[in-house]
Amino acid sequence: MLAIEKKRLNELLRRMNRDFQVYVPYLENGTGKFAPYQEERELYLEMNTLLPPKDIFFPQTEKMYKFRAAGNELEIEEIAEQKEKQVVFGIRSCDAFSIDCLDKVFLSRGYEDAFYKNKRENTLLVGLACTAVGDTCFCQSMGLNPQEAVGVDLQVLDLGAEWGFKARTAAGQELLAKYGDVLHETGASPLPAEEFKLKVEVEGVPEKLSRMFDHPVWEEVSRKCLGCALCTYLCPTCHCFDVSGKVKGEEGYRFRCWDSCMFSEYTRMAGGHNPRPTKKERVRNRFMHKLSYFVERYGQLLCTGCGRCLAKCPVNMDITAVIRKIKEAEVE
Amino acid sequence: MKEITQKMRDTARELLSSGQVALVLGWEKGYPWYKSAPTFIDKVEDVERLVFDEFCHNNLSKYLLDLAAVDGKVALFVKGCDSRGVNRLIQDNQVKREQLYIIGIPCPGLKDPDDAAGKNWGDEINGAVKCQDCRFPNPVVYDLLLGEKVPAVERGRETRELIERLEKMKPDERYEFWAGQFNRCIRCYACRNICPACNCRECVFDRAVPEWLGKANNLVENQFMQLTRAIHVAGRCIECGECERACPVNIPLMALNRKIINDIEELFGEEPAGLDPEKKTPLGRFELDDPEKFM
Ligand code: SF4
Ligand code: SF4
Ligand code: SF4
Ligand code: SF4
Ligand code: SF4
Repeated sequence: MLAIEKKRLNELLRRMNRDFQVYVPYLENGTGKFAPYQEERELYLEMNTLLPPKDIFFPQTEKMYKFRAAGNELEIEEIAEQKEKQVVFGIRSCDAFSIDCLDKVFLSRGYEDAFYKNKRENTLLVGLACTAVGDTCFCQSMGLNPQEAVGVDLQVLDLGAEWGFKARTAAGQELLAKYGDVLHETGASPLPAEEFKLKVEVEGVPEKLSRMFDHPVWEEVSRKCLGCALCTYLCPTCHCFDVSGKVKGEEGYRFRCWDSCMFSEYTRMAGGHNPRPTKKERVRNRFMHKLSYFVERYGQLLCTGCGRCLAKCPVNMDITAVIRKIKEAEVE
Repeated sequence: MKEITQKMRDTARELLSSGQVALVLGWEKGYPWYKSAPTFIDKVEDVERLVFDEFCHNNLSKYLLDLAAVDGKVALFVKGCDSRGVNRLIQDNQVKREQLYIIGIPCPGLKDPDDAAGKNWGDEINGAVKCQDCRFPNPVVYDLLLGEKVPAVERGRETRELIERLEKMKPDERYEFWAGQFNRCIRCYACRNICPACNCRECVFDRAVPEWLGKANNLVENQFMQLTRAIHVAGRCIECGECERACPVNIPLMALNRKIINDIEELFGEEPAGLDPEKKTPLGRFELDDPEKFM
């Protein structure tokens, strides 16, 4: 396997950053997030980031087009698509799988989202294997391997004193060839991941849920929810957005921005009717979407077990506990 | 705390089985071990779920807003800060005192769950920021008090030091500081939704027509949202620190809230919010001799 001594990783990233826009995990005010590589900054590779990398592909606020309307004249200008080649370095297995989920949403089933596609196609993913497993991590229960990410071009493995690299795609091979001069062959073997503290059995849950729309469990589960959007905004797979615009005089632009099914106005219609009037319906929707609807449509769960919602929900809503409740629930 | 937990369960059992209350709001053990979560108990069998430990951060008074439809009385457990939240909601006519059975718990100060992450039971864990200069650890309103009253003690200075630092800054520097903070805001609204002072039926930020606040995430709108909120809860904020605890990106919201509280106390000689439900809030009334130092 090709490897680099841990203390020389910066040399590799610096080289890469000349050819690509490289995103790496940093700790900012105690919050882990992906940000453009800066030589002098210390990387955060101990644990997963709190903010998921999804905004690299699907920014929280994204301008779509500009317009100018004067009298009967209308001019529309597409907002320049970003074409720069980029590398996301250090993505964990849970987050790599979340990108696979987003690909399904934005690129499959006959509609391609140009904004997402453009960024996605120009991005190489470099996975980072987990050895330390967080208290709230449960990717393994969702069928993922914390050391082998789905859909990455390169997988980085922790070899103790070195970082090892395994190419997963042709593009990954090319990357390794390109930076071969800073890498060396090693016989060291990867450190294993710790035992998971959090486990949950998810088999049968999607099918069972499809018969639980009117189940009393939702009343019980949703009671403590505050209806903020924290869980959905920290979630690497949540992808709802709202389109709005800003107009000033004759000019304006349209943009889209993250939205959340946990907000009361999310489903509020013109005229005031709201088909999801209380938090019961909203919480139900969140879990149904993750654990049932998405499985029906795309054949995979919309939860990767990253545990962010559980770690940060201010009322400790625990998706694994909800899954256990669903398993125990009696259904006619 | 084991003792308090036992007393909680006994009290809840007694209240529910005698039919005095229809529902008990309390805390139960969550996951991981350094989280305790709000829980709703309406059956005697479930009282064993109740706990009190160093991670019972949630101010349960917020849930009183959801309970208008509960048939019968509601019992809830309150720490010092939470009890002021109850008074505030009574004062705002959101709930009636007669509908409540308030069980006070003198609070020894809680621990910081973020510091506990990755640690084990018994390890040394920092105190919760929200408790560091708590002035009222003993409930200010209750029907029953569990345990002995505790003295108010200073447990840290982080927020006060930040306020002192901010007060010394030039306006531009101060602007830079807060801009740096609110640039990080993801507009998840956890700070608003957990806040017992935020009890408007429809929040101005949720209003679609007219749209006072757009959904775009940018510094201008993030600041507009946070400053509006800070000013709106001024004189009503009960210093529970829940907004700051809930914030996933560690924005020091309490530096803003406490600064305003300090100013109100200094300018109007007011007592802190939520001590006396009969008294109008300083910014909710008008007097001819109100000071105008800040004008
Ligand atoms: S589950 Fe938690 S984070 Fe999500 S909306 Fe409810 S209170 Fe907020
Ligand atoms: S639902 Fe929670 S655990 Fe699952 S992917 Fe989203 S944030 Fe992670
Ligand atoms: S959920 Fe799995 S892949 Fe994600 S950070 Fe935790 S151990 Fe790593
Ligand atoms: S503003 Fe913060 S400290 Fe004040 S009442 Fe609301 S949540 Fe509590
Ligand atoms: S909780 Fe923090 S991130 Fe969320 S809206 Fe409030 S200040 Fe912003």
